Amino acid sequence: MSGRILVVEDDERIRSSMRLALEGEGYDVKDVASGEEALDLFADAPTDVALIDIMLPGMDGFECCRALRRQSAVPIIIVTARADTHDVVAGLEAGADDYVTKPFVAKELAARIRALLRRARPTEEDPGALAFGNLQLLPDQGVLRQADGTEVHCTRTEFRLLCELAASPNKVLSREQLLDRVWGYDYFGDGRLVDVHIRRLRTKVEVDPALPQHILTVRGMGYKLVP
Amino acid sequence: MGIGARITAIFGLGALLLSFSMGGLSYFTARHFLLAERETAAQTQAFANALVVLKEIAGGNTQYETLLGQLDSASASNSILVHKSKVYSSPLGISESSIPAELRSEVLSGGTAATQTYVSGPHGQPQIVVGVPIPSVHAAYFEVFSLSDLGHTLRVLGITLVGTGVVTTVLGIVLGRFASRRSLRPLAGVSRAAVAIAGGRLDTRLAPEAADPDLEGLTSSFNTMVDQLQARIEREARFNSDVSHELRSPLTTLSASLEVLEADRYNLPPRAQRALQLLGDDLRRFQRMVGDLLEMSRADAGSVDVFLEEVNVGELVQRAVEAGMRSLGNGADVPQVVIAPDVEALHVGVDKRRFERVMANLLDNAANYGGGATVISVSTLDRTGSRESTGSTDNGDGAGRAERGGRIGRVGPGPDDVPTVIEIAVEDAGPGISDVERTKVFDRFYRGSASGRRGTGTGTGLGLALVAEHVRLMHGETWVEAAPSGGARFVVTLPVFVDDEGQDW
Repeated sequence: MSGRILVVEDDERIRSSMRLALEGEGYDVKDVASGEEALDLFADAPTDVALIDIMLPGMDGFECCRALRRQSAVPIIIVTARADTHDVVAGLEAGADDYVTKPFVAKELAARIRALLRRARPTEEDPGALAFGNLQLLPDQGVLRQADGTEVHCTRTEFRLLCELAASPNKVLSREQLLDRVWGYDYFGDGRLVDVHIRRLRTKVEVDPALPQHILTVRGMGYKLVP
Repeated sequence: MGIGARITAIFGLGALLLSFSMGGLSYFTARHFLLAERETAAQTQAFANALVVLKEIAGGNTQYETLLGQLDSASASNSILVHKSKVYSSPLGISESSIPAELRSEVLSGGTAATQTYVSGPHGQPQIVVGVPIPSVHAAYFEVFSLSDLGHTLRVLGITLVGTGVVTTVLGIVLGRFASRRSLRPLAGVSRAAVAIAGGRLDTRLAPEAADPDLEGLTSSFNTMVDQLQARIEREARFNSDVSHELRSPLTTLSASLEVLEADRYNLPPRAQRALQLLGDDLRRFQRMVGDLLEMSRADAGSVDVFLEEVNVGELVQRAVEAGMRSLGNGADVPQVVIAPDVEALHVGVDKRRFERVMANLLDNAANYGGGATVISVSTLDRTGSRESTGSTDNGDGAGRAERGGRIGRVGPGPDDVPTVIEIAVEDAGPGISDVERTKVFDRFYRGSASGRRGTGTGTGLGLALVAEHVRLMHGETWVEAAPSGGARFVVTLPVFVDDEGQDW
């Protein structure tokens, strides 16, 4: 599978080696050394996945992530030196879809990219439109809209997560199932990915995100969508 | 003798000395004063009586006994008259033996008046004897005054003073104890603070405002010491963390570049391929080591975050073993996973990432030193102590066990007999671990007697230390014992998840 990857990394040697490794995996790689350059380049060059290091000079990775997210739903992977809750959750809340920690294995990184590039596929057969509350979900078009037709913007990962939940309404999906289906992780994937994305999704589909009516937490089991 | 006992003893001794010297002084002063008073009174009376006797004898009265009986004897006194070597007394019972010989001779031959006081007279009773010579009629008049009332008074006074002395001494001891407690109390504060610091609460300080001005020096130097200790520990932890962080960047480059080379390895000459193989193996080991070091330094710095999830224990262990065996690579015998039926449905609260590392490290350890894991068993913690019956002594985690025992004792099997602790044991077929090594294997970079057996040498030396650390963070315990087969049996425990209102996000 080919894809266009934007690598934002200030360390020149890491950047070069990442480029080599990802090119070896068949990706088309563009690399820049700062967040500012990344935003400039992103405006001109089409990008499928952005890899952003958190510790950048000037505009840091979180800021870059937020800026990118404001103009695009492109999948973003943050590259962090630490797997602390703080960095990971801050990165995810800044709009990242996934994260990897340094030093990473290039094959693993390639697998993460592949998972994000997969098309939304809620179930084997196309379920057509799914509706809940006053929202309408069109998986094949990648569109979530309100009853009046206004589109609700969400990232590809958020959209896929919503599709998975909406495909089996009222059925509890465990974190592990969601991690597997949306991110392609095995049993030991990081549950915080699901939690932060659910939280983000709630701000978009719930009237009051603090008192969700549609995306509900089932303690000790996972999440379910109630139409 | 301790400082407290010493202070008490000093107070007690001081009170004793003071009270008895003061008491003695009072006693002797009082006695002296009382005796002097009595002597003066006795002398006055004796002279008056002697004058009466002189007048009567000069007037021709020879009824001496009657005379003596008529004399004024306001105080209990007896009179003796010696006239021309004949002795007359009143009452008759009194003889001249009542008069001490030296006084008698002094009065009779010396012709001077004399007084002698006996606290204990010739007959054992205290008395004052006054002798007045009456040379004009060749007589001498003696009067013996009994002091038994004074003796009684002095005895009562003495007893009172001794009693007061004893009471004062006891009070002194009590005061001493109080003072020693009082003065040692700040030290108890220091001791508590030291214990807290040793327990890892490095922000503990002695309150300077609460401190005694006399102990200000101690307080400030103690706090300075802790400040420096804390700074040093933080510096060291930061250094460890910085080193590991700094190593990450070149490691990232190295591993990414290595993968590029490995993808192309079949285009390389055989020697280069072999070199690449070695490079790859050790780079991965190095990478793991840096990861482990970072994990350790984070734990040391106390900046860990544990993400506990409620998961089914059977599935967790099964998956972790699968993942662990995958990372061990092909060729390793897959151990048998035995899950007791009563725990199959139970949930534990774990940080999955940490648990995966725990299981991977235990499997890795078994593969490196124990010939591979044979059985992995999941059961409720055996409370009957069958581990003792297998002949193993638990040196591994004495304190932990005591605590565990306490917890089980408190929680106990629930009313519906729900177990509270789950035990996950990894057994291997190796030579086992000797009693003395059972605690040490969890030390960092410990190389035991089995280290010579290291085959491919893929260990980082931190694996078991991290196992203990991860398990501790998940509120469990870790120890090693002898497996029934003779190999080592590494045990980790996890508390059963209790469903309560927890965080939800």
